[in-house]
Amino acid sequence: MKGSRRLVSPLLLLAAWEWASAAGVVREAFFPRPSTILVHLRRLAMDGTLWSHTAATLTRVGWAFAAAAVLGVAIGLAMGLSRRLRDGLDPVFAVIYPIPSVLFLPLVSFLVPAGELATVITSAVTSFFLVAFSTTHGVRQIDRLVVEAAIHYGARGRRLFTAVLLPGALPHVFTGLRLGLGFALIVAVAVEIVAASRGLGALLWLSWQVLKVEDMYAIFFVIAAIGAALSYGLAAVRARLLPWVQDVATR
Amino acid sequence: MRPGLVVPLALLGLWEAAARLAIVSPRYFPPPTAVGAGLVSHFVEGDLGAETLTTLARLAAAFALAAVTGVPLGLALGRIRALREAIDPYIAFLFPVPKIALLPFLLILLGVGEPAFVLTGAISAFFQITISTLAGVQTMDPRLLEVGRNYGAEGWRLFRRIILPAALPSIFTGLRLGLGLALVTIVAVEFVTAKSGLGHLVYRHWQMLSTVEMYGAFALVGALGLALTRGLGALQRRMLAWQEEPGIV
Repeated sequence: MKGSRRLVSPLLLLAAWEWASAAGVVREAFFPRPSTILVHLRRLAMDGTLWSHTAATLTRVGWAFAAAAVLGVAIGLAMGLSRRLRDGLDPVFAVIYPIPSVLFLPLVSFLVPAGELATVITSAVTSFFLVAFSTTHGVRQIDRLVVEAAIHYGARGRRLFTAVLLPGALPHVFTGLRLGLGFALIVAVAVEIVAASRGLGALLWLSWQVLKVEDMYAIFFVIAAIGAALSYGLAAVRARLLPWVQDVATR
Repeated sequence: MRPGLVVPLALLGLWEAAARLAIVSPRYFPPPTAVGAGLVSHFVEGDLGAETLTTLARLAAAFALAAVTGVPLGLALGRIRALREAIDPYIAFLFPVPKIALLPFLLILLGVGEPAFVLTGAISAFFQITISTLAGVQTMDPRLLEVGRNYGAEGWRLFRRIILPAALPSIFTGLRLGLGLALVTIVAVEFVTAKSGLGHLVYRHWQMLSTVEMYGAFALVGALGLALTRGLGALQRRMLAWQEEPGIV
């Protein structure tokens, strides 16, 4: 079975790590044994700390992604359809997009009261651009022949949109959504490290500052698991809802 | 004037007017001309040039490290099935992780300093480069391999003449995306911990509310990102003129 074979190498690594740390080959202070990390993970989960911080992070990611997805798809579609809009916005987006999203935090904090809203908006910035870019590209790569054929057969306005343009652009829209979801998490964690007192990023940073190394590993594991779950979760949703749609990018 | 510049210039003009007429608070949103003048004077007599160089040096080190390790690993993963099965679970698990979350670990292992900052940037580029390279090898047309073999190419020659050229566009895309990611991560690391670099400038001036300098550093990061990604994109179109670029983002 393919799935179980993939587990061989990680399990071997964990066993080797456990042994090396116990035998003193690597310093246990820096590389605590996986079994110790598991104990700490369980303790964090039992006393509720982990849940409240995870909930804070997931809520931020959820709102940021929702905002980025709605705005990104809408503006992306509009830019795909209207040449003038594209010509106007492209240069603006091209300059803003490569700026690391964390740097938007100061700017956003001038616009809205610092706190939850500023974190969410900052986390949504890069995500929005990824969704908008992919959607624009998705609309533009639709075969002109298909669009013209649809128009000749009388598809206009709403019908053209729902029957031709949206389905045609969907694979790219989904790729943008998947990348955007990943980036919403990345930026949310980064902002939490910088400026928040709650959330997994903040908890990770705090554990570093007081040198709770085992807790750091446990929290890192949770963040990684959320990242993997979001990424593969969205891919699974796509496979279920739109089985004919291929994901276009290479992960 | 290029038509592409109309909207950005109009936006800047609007901002300028709003700040001058105090429709928005000039304390928080200083007029773009003031930011521009501040940028120039800080370059001439201030530390802006040195800070930019610091960021660029970190970026160059991180990118070089990631390229030198990521491309060979991606090629090897694409060709050697057993290796791919052994390594793939880690890549699949670690790729979606925010790489800045690795920073605390590197800080304990290496201490607070350049190696930790550079390595965090390198790791984020490394994954992208490895994955793009791997995809380039895996998605190559199998007929090319067969043609090569039929003409007697084996081993190193097959690799050098067939596999590498076929994977080159993907490798380039990986390098371009990796460079962008390394910049993002390094600036974020500077913002969080480092006491130098453009990211730190934005943070420091945010804390001191010296907004003219803050926006200046902010704009500089944007210009840097734009120049780097555009530059590498142009290089790619020039060097690989025979091939269309795979992938979109």
